[in-house]
Amino acid sequence: MLEGGKIDSKQAIFLLTTMVLATAILFVPAIIAHHAKQDAWISAILATLGGLVIARLQVTLGLRFPGMTLFQYLEVILGKVLGKAVGFLYLWWFFHMNAEVLREFGSFLVAAFMPDTPIIVFIIIIAIISAYAVRSGLEVFTRVNQIILPLILLSLLVLFALATKEMRIIRLLPLLDTGVVPIIKGAITPLSWFGEMATFLMIIPYLNKPQEAPRIANTAILISGTFFLITVLGVLAIFGPALSARWMFPTLNGARMIHLANFLERLEAVIMVIWVFGAFVKISVFYYAGVLGSAQVLGLKDFRPLVLLIGVIVVALSILLHPNILDLARMLGQVWPPYALSTFEVGLPLILLAISLIRGKGGQQQ
Amino acid sequence: MISDQIMKTNVLELPMAEPGLELTRSNALHIIKNRCLSIHQVKETTNLADVIDGITSGDTVLLIDGFATALINGVRGWETRKVTSPEAEVVIRGPQEAFVETLRTNTSMLRRKIKNPNLKIETLKLGEVTNTDVAIAYIKGIVHDDIVAEVRRRLDAVKVDSILESGYVEEIIGDGPLSPFPLVNHSERPDKIAAMLLEGRVAIFTDGTPEVLTVPTLFLEFIHSPDDYYEKFYHGSLIRFVRLGALVMTLALPSLYVAVITFHQEMLPTPLMLSIAGQREMVPFPAFIETLIMEISFEALREAGVRLPRQVGQAVSIVGALIIGEAAVRAGIVAAATVIIVAVTGISSFMLTTSAGITIRMLRFPMMILSATMGLFGLSVGLVTILVHLATLRSFGVPYLSPVAPTTTGDLKDVLFRAPWWAMFTRPRLLGGMKDPQRQQFRLKPTPPETRE
Repeated sequence: MLEGGKIDSKQAIFLLTTMVLATAILFVPAIIAHHAKQDAWISAILATLGGLVIARLQVTLGLRFPGMTLFQYLEVILGKVLGKAVGFLYLWWFFHMNAEVLREFGSFLVAAFMPDTPIIVFIIIIAIISAYAVRSGLEVFTRVNQIILPLILLSLLVLFALATKEMRIIRLLPLLDTGVVPIIKGAITPLSWFGEMATFLMIIPYLNKPQEAPRIANTAILISGTFFLITVLGVLAIFGPALSARWMFPTLNGARMIHLANFLERLEAVIMVIWVFGAFVKISVFYYAGVLGSAQVLGLKDFRPLVLLIGVIVVALSILLHPNILDLARMLGQVWPPYALSTFEVGLPLILLAISLIRGKGGQQQ
Repeated sequence: MISDQIMKTNVLELPMAEPGLELTRSNALHIIKNRCLSIHQVKETTNLADVIDGITSGDTVLLIDGFATALINGVRGWETRKVTSPEAEVVIRGPQEAFVETLRTNTSMLRRKIKNPNLKIETLKLGEVTNTDVAIAYIKGIVHDDIVAEVRRRLDAVKVDSILESGYVEEIIGDGPLSPFPLVNHSERPDKIAAMLLEGRVAIFTDGTPEVLTVPTLFLEFIHSPDDYYEKFYHGSLIRFVRLGALVMTLALPSLYVAVITFHQEMLPTPLMLSIAGQREMVPFPAFIETLIMEISFEALREAGVRLPRQVGQAVSIVGALIIGEAAVRAGIVAAATVIIVAVTGISSFMLTTSAGITIRMLRFPMMILSATMGLFGLSVGLVTILVHLATLRSFGVPYLSPVAPTTTGDLKDVLFRAPWWAMFTRPRLLGGMKDPQRQQFRLKPTPPETRE
């Protein structure tokens, strides 16, 4: 066994919620507002519903092969050679996604808080902590997340409540003024965030009740969707669509707007702490998926020797990917969603499911 | 060591006993054993190791010419300290007795709390030179058998010269040997040890020390105190939240101050920022150095106060308060705000009297370095690292952060919030409640009888 730990359903829900929510609340609102204007919140709801469908597809695939991770049943479905080839593609995706998240992490801190610090400092530090967590196994960062996620959700709610003074519902009107197409366009980016649920395929075999996987995925998507909706609504009601779209991190600016009794001011520090905590969990999950997957594709007995190696690759990749934060934002807004959704999040799982049905591989769903 | 009275009986009265019977070579042992030794505990043995053991433990051994049998007389007796009130774990309400240095006294104090045949006490000897008595206590039927077996296995593996205090045992059998956090808890209070056993833990008594170890240990045990359970549950719950706050403040307040003053001045409300800036105008050091100096002198004061005799200890605090509180600020060496932060941190750290408190106090220094170099980011990174480390730890198989992470919903009734006693239905699940989870009857909540007309 590569991983001896088991996590329970509640832990899995927490883990997936943090995984989706951590970066979505900061980077996505501006992208949706750019497309869907004041109807961005409808896009958020649409994306959540779409996420439920995608997760259903992925989990159905995962449950056909109980006790196996994605990389193990790739070889069962496609045969050894092709299976390994697609396995390497998926590895690339996990590495790439992790590198993007690391880059988002560093870019945000540089852009919003410490413009003079080189971005690599932030990336290396968070990568080292994640490496420590990943090396200690799935159970460890799952437990850390059980403490972190309630704090994140609570802080989000408190920030939202404190900012209500600045909100005007009228900024959400007129409804459906822009038409349906922009709303769907706006929904695609958050949908690709929910599609990251594909990582769950690496965790399903380590659930102590794998048959609850559909419920876990749905609950996680609904929780993260709700908080995402709250964030988008809050941002729109504070700034209106034009300003929300122009800022890179409207959530951060929203927190900056909070003034209360001349004492509670400039609460963006809370956003920073949320960001570090949440990004740590997200990076650890992808890191873990990449490391565990590599060990399985390469047929190793232990994944620990790979942790440092893959960490170096991912950190280097995160630096090489983009010359600046504008390029990163363009990537996240325009390139990443169609790329990820069409291949690794929906396309490949759909094809795999079809082939496994045709070839009769995999047991019946329990 | 050996009580004089008993030796006198042995030596003087022996020749005078039973003049009627003729003392022959063949019946000497019998007569001496049954008639002459006015001692309640006499053991016959033919084993040399038992004889040596008896002598080194304070018994006298009677060897009679012509017999291959030795008589071990249980005449152990030595000067002991009286049972006094606890020094380190003071409670307002609750029993005012503490363990002493004698193992047998301690186990009997425990037996007086739990009068049940299922309370098992196993003794063994540790230390090749010192031959110290060590006892494992647990309640059969409540404790997880695997945990007892694991404690036994680890104690059997202990091969050292000496066990002079329970700390020796703790460091050898505890998990996480390199972790700064305590993975074995200890207490000098019989009521606390009894409560621990009743939750399914194992206690390890060591002869020669009043501190009794308990395993498995959970991190949040360290913010609990016995009187949380004796006072009304509102008070018990509230004070736990205050202690958790103190823990976080001890860990993070100085570093938060350093981070805000050095990197994030904009976070402060303008009047406060101007006031602090005004105070710091005269100060020649950066905020980090200033806070570091103050924190180190605070630790020095504290250590001096602990070691010195009580009368001198007061002098130390006067000097500390005067010099540091007044003169340093007036001389412009530190800002008044720094003194306030250090003092608040100090008061918070006084609330953490357990061994985890020392760890937290220690960790605030690396945290200060982190926030001095990277501001709030460094502080958050430090907190995440500590969390990850805590999550990796296990004490005798039980995750250190449980029942919070992994969450056991039923056990959250006694972590921060202390449920009233009529609602403490189940035993902690991860510790030992798996076997017999029911602790007490449901529907214990008192309700007044319906009034008659």
